[in-house]
Amino acid sequence: MEQRTPTLRSVAWLWFGITIAVLVVGFRQAIFLVPTEATMGNVQRIFYYHLPHAVLGLIFPYVNFIASLAYLFWRRRDPLKALTADALAVAAAEVTVLFVGIGLLSGMLWAKPAWGIWWAWDARLTTYLLLWLLYVSYLLLRRYSPSGQTGTFGAVLSVFAAIDVPIVYMSIQWWRTQHPAPVFGPNGGGIDPSFVPAVLWNMAGWAMWGVLILLFRFALERRRQLAEQEAALVAIEASLEIPQ
Amino acid sequence: MTWQSFFDFSTMSHRHLIFVYAGIWLIQGAYLGWIAWNWSHTKGSRH
Repeated sequence: MEQRTPTLRSVAWLWFGITIAVLVVGFRQAIFLVPTEATMGNVQRIFYYHLPHAVLGLIFPYVNFIASLAYLFWRRRDPLKALTADALAVAAAEVTVLFVGIGLLSGMLWAKPAWGIWWAWDARLTTYLLLWLLYVSYLLLRRYSPSGQTGTFGAVLSVFAAIDVPIVYMSIQWWRTQHPAPVFGPNGGGIDPSFVPAVLWNMAGWAMWGVLILLFRFALERRRQLAEQEAALVAIEASLEIPQ
Repeated sequence: MTWQSFFDFSTMSHRHLIFVYAGIWLIQGAYLGWIAWNWSHTKGSRH
């Protein structure tokens, strides 16, 4: 463990450095190198930051979902493994709130100049807002639920919250919406090849950033759990000491 | 686009573009900073 920590720290710093470099290249591509889109003009460049956050906001809920299922599976069989799964679940939920929140905000800032309105209660926007609210409620539930039951309450809510993810994804195919039809995928409309490098660099950069903060937040939660366990052990040892 | 036109606040389109780019770096950086602050203020395990 003592040997592993410096190695992990070096890997984390290396990952951080590469992530920043990729994001800088992505920024340069999106702002300076990609040609200006003919219809919307420069405001279309919001797309290169909006898309990665919106897409990653639909991936992190599944990390939370799988970690929550693992917690429910292990909570009686192996409580220590269950605690690790719970730490990953809470980290993924926070990162989901962050990415979905940014997806919503950047979408609104793009919608106003592009559509003339900040918001439309269409299927994509509404289900995406519901996704954000579900994970905010997950975090609030964990914050205010009685200790000892926090993980179980959160894991059960997580299973239901994850159902919204495929609904968000399919909303622009199932219903006619204000939000544009899919760009990528089998039914996607596609984009001009000159825009692709900016999309790929920013997708890669923000995905690497997402993994970085997810793992750092997970490590922080594990550190908290271990500190609490140590404090509990010290309290038990102190209570067992025989007075002289 | 150039740095000069990137920092052009004359139209709503340009303002919103810079709000998104600057805002996202600010929010993501603040969250990373919050995790790092908590990390440094949480005692590590002795084992």
